[in-house]
Amino acid sequence: MSDDSVTAVILAAGEGRRLEPLTNRRPKPMVSVANRPLLEHVVEAVAAAGVDRIALVVGYRQERIRNHFGDGDDWGVTIEYVEQSTQLGTGHAVLQAEPVVDGPFIVLNGDRIVDPAVVSRVRDRARDGDHPAMTVTTAEHPREYGVVSLDGDRVTGIDEKPEGPVETNRINAGVYAFSPAVFDAIRETHAPGELAITATLNELASAGDLTAVRYNGRWLDVSNLWDLLTVNAALIGEPERTEPERTEPADPALDESVTVADDVALAGNVRVGPNVTIGGSTAIGSNATIEASAVVENAVIFPDAVIGAGAVVRDAIVAGNARIGPNATIAGGPATVVVGDAVHRDVDFGGVVGDNATVGGGATLTDGAVVGDDVRADAGVVIDGRIESDAVVRRG
Amino acid sequence: MCGIIGYVGTGVGKDGDDAASDGGTIDGVGAIVHKGLRNLEYRGYDSAGVALVGESSGLTVAKRSGEVDGLTVPDVPDATHGVGHTRWSTHGPPTDANAHPHTDCAGDVAVVHNGIVENYEELKAELSDHEFTSDTDTEVIPHLIEEELAGASDEDGEGGDLLAAVRNVEDRLVGSYAICAVREGDDRIVVARRGSPLVLGRGEDAAFVASDVTAFLEHTRDVTYLEDGDVAALEAGDVSIFHHGEPVERAVETVSWEADAAEKGGYEHYMRKEIHEQPSSLRQTLAGRLDVDAGDVDLDVSFPPGFLADLEEIRIVACGTSYYAGRYAAQLFEELAGVRATVEIASEYEFGAGRTPDRTLVVAVTQSGETADTLGAVRRANAAGARTFAVTNTLGSTVTREVDGTAFIRAGPEIGVAATKTFASQVATLAMLAVAVGRDRGALGAADARSVLDDLRGLPGAVQQVLDEEAQVREAAREYQDSEAFFFVGRALGVPVALEGALKLKEISYDHAEGFAAGELKHGPLALVTPETPVLAVLTDGARANETMNNVTEAQTRGAPALGCVSEGEEFGTLDVSFEVPDVGVVEPIVANVYLQLFAYHVANEKGRSIDKPRNLAKSVTVE
Repeated sequence: MSDDSVTAVILAAGEGRRLEPLTNRRPKPMVSVANRPLLEHVVEAVAAAGVDRIALVVGYRQERIRNHFGDGDDWGVTIEYVEQSTQLGTGHAVLQAEPVVDGPFIVLNGDRIVDPAVVSRVRDRARDGDHPAMTVTTAEHPREYGVVSLDGDRVTGIDEKPEGPVETNRINAGVYAFSPAVFDAIRETHAPGELAITATLNELASAGDLTAVRYNGRWLDVSNLWDLLTVNAALIGEPERTEPERTEPADPALDESVTVADDVALAGNVRVGPNVTIGGSTAIGSNATIEASAVVENAVIFPDAVIGAGAVVRDAIVAGNARIGPNATIAGGPATVVVGDAVHRDVDFGGVVGDNATVGGGATLTDGAVVGDDVRADAGVVIDGRIESDAVVRRG
Repeated sequence: MCGIIGYVGTGVGKDGDDAASDGGTIDGVGAIVHKGLRNLEYRGYDSAGVALVGESSGLTVAKRSGEVDGLTVPDVPDATHGVGHTRWSTHGPPTDANAHPHTDCAGDVAVVHNGIVENYEELKAELSDHEFTSDTDTEVIPHLIEEELAGASDEDGEGGDLLAAVRNVEDRLVGSYAICAVREGDDRIVVARRGSPLVLGRGEDAAFVASDVTAFLEHTRDVTYLEDGDVAALEAGDVSIFHHGEPVERAVETVSWEADAAEKGGYEHYMRKEIHEQPSSLRQTLAGRLDVDAGDVDLDVSFPPGFLADLEEIRIVACGTSYYAGRYAAQLFEELAGVRATVEIASEYEFGAGRTPDRTLVVAVTQSGETADTLGAVRRANAAGARTFAVTNTLGSTVTREVDGTAFIRAGPEIGVAATKTFASQVATLAMLAVAVGRDRGALGAADARSVLDDLRGLPGAVQQVLDEEAQVREAAREYQDSEAFFFVGRALGVPVALEGALKLKEISYDHAEGFAAGELKHGPLALVTPETPVLAVLTDGARANETMNNVTEAQTRGAPALGCVSEGEEFGTLDVSFEVPDVGVVEPIVANVYLQLFAYHVANEKGRSIDKPRNLAKSVTVE
């Protein structure tokens, strides 16, 4: 049934500032896709692989994680929490798990979704292998990740987000197999600033001690806000996996006048008014309300949100307890979005509305608009670009 | 929830408490079982018991209502194995007789059980020639085993086999259970699991079984989790497991966790966990019940035709936190349902003169459904001929069997003695009931109902917003924790919340805390106000904030620090600390209460109090 000796250490202490405003109130692993936090998808993959002991490394806004997962009973696993009080890098995060790990273990990222198959392969490698191992997958834009050089199945180096041209599209998939010996290796790693696990991996690679597990399966990474929409669509579109046992009611009762596409995830207690259209690739969370005649498509709606009557919400993310007024419009479509210094062109992204924000009736978000949490936007305003949290947007 | 433990072995074990004076070992089967029960006490502690089996002394049972520490474990020097139980009453009150273990007629077989035997009444009827001594569902199990043994004995002439008997009995039970059975003259513990947790511990020359590994973690970390349908026989150092009668192997795993953390989902205390669960528990409370567009609710309750229209009075009976939820609800019933609503402390309740029984609805509010005082009030109301209704968290609880109708608050199990999430869900459920009654009576228009329901649907999100501000509350708790006393004030819907805020603080921090209607401050309590007595005020919608603030100012002029829960967008500049409450209308005071829960928690935590099990208090008070 289960493997009795390998622990999964899942790194979930990070803040994820690139996903602001969604990460103002929750850590990135708790951002929801397909009505479940990213981290829950990871925990499920681990549980499905038969690993039933999990150590969650938590830090930023950890109450959200502890409260959601509890002791792991709902997923058939035992969860222990260890705290990384300051974010000093992934290597440092792994070190925090030392007191609860007593044998071979695997490490995963709490915000990257992988298949159970790769988890069990890495688990087997941890249990049976003599050397630490890392998973290697391929990516379209390898330079955004750690580019991995291989010699056969031996890793010769990892180049983190390289500046120049790269020779390979092989990247670090972020699932590792270790023995407790790695804790000493991390401690002995000399790295400037943050203690990244890749620094230790590079030292192991130089010593010829690091092997690769090649992986071509699903690997869903959320780097930018709009990635949530593609990851959400990918997860909703796939055949049903086993759901954890829950006490929530089954599907909500829907009026005959409501149109719902096949690839939609509705929480059990969503309220949907008459004549609503819910288009494909949409997830609507617990206790959310979609009022009469609203149109929601390719969207992630968090719990407690309200989409007002006649509103149009396309290619958008509406965070927890946010309220989109009647006839407000998030039209969707290709947009140019600026995040920090980077300009992202031609992404399908209608916009995001942060937690507890209110967008007044008849207001319009231009493509790619980012409305911070607790923002109050008056009726009829046009919102363009980025609105900082707690701001008030007045008409005029 | 109950906890069970079984131990078979030499009787020499380690004592997990480092402070143990005897060098860290404990002696005797009884002592090991007793310590295991103490480790399981978090699963319930209203009664406890053990059964010990000795080579020549036979079966000895000791059990009583009350906490595990109050149980005197008999001295059985030749004991080879034993089982124990700490109980959380579901069937029957926690009396000595209802405590586990339960035995058969002859006193040869003893059983401890966690779970529910759903068909126990049916089975009990079949066992009409057996003598039952308790109200529990569990007691059918030892008697069924006795029957099986007697039947088998007729065949083999050797008294039958306990393992075979348990297997056969297990086939007949419907429900969820984990059971451990022992028998005089048999050196095994036989266990079965279906639906309730059961884990085996494997020692070198001992074997353990328990609801949870915490029970025996100081003795062994090698464990085997049983699967549904498994039956196992434990002997010293040896375990055999069967599934559908066939021997099976189950993996032995090593537990590396520390005992405490796993139980509370990584939280230090259940209370904090339960405070943080409120957004999801409230979503459960509301799920499928609000029809905002129609301005109505679906609580799945029904009253005789015309009963609500002719209603003269709603009389709410409750104790403690539930009483404050009732005080909140009474105001909503009057305002939304247009019916006179009064609240009485359950132990003080009498039907009273001047009332018409068939025009009175008595609403009992009890989290557990077992509160003796509230059950007593329900019985007096029933005797007077009034219609009775329960608002409770516990399916199948006693109160639900004694009233005419029930609405469940669906908050999920609450372990911390200090009620938190159940208060919020009680008020939300009662508010929905007020809307339902108001709509039925024609006292509440659709538009007004819609506005209340819109506020209710916003409740989970608003509570989440408050939880996100926990750091601010922790800071305030640190600043004011050493105060001499704390006064909580409010008006209207703020009064019950002020009372509840004070109750929460006093019950877990042991500080002097009192709640008042703000207007009463100047009629006496103001004499107690000094710079060392902070005033915490509910200054939200539904709580007449401006008038309340005048009273707060009276206290401030006597030097008292003032902390307030203030509606978003409002401001009272003179407050020392201002907690922002999101805009959710008549349920804002419930949201303000979450700040007061966090304040109480952090004051108590700073002082290192026993937050989940405050001194002298129990979760569900099943004595009058």
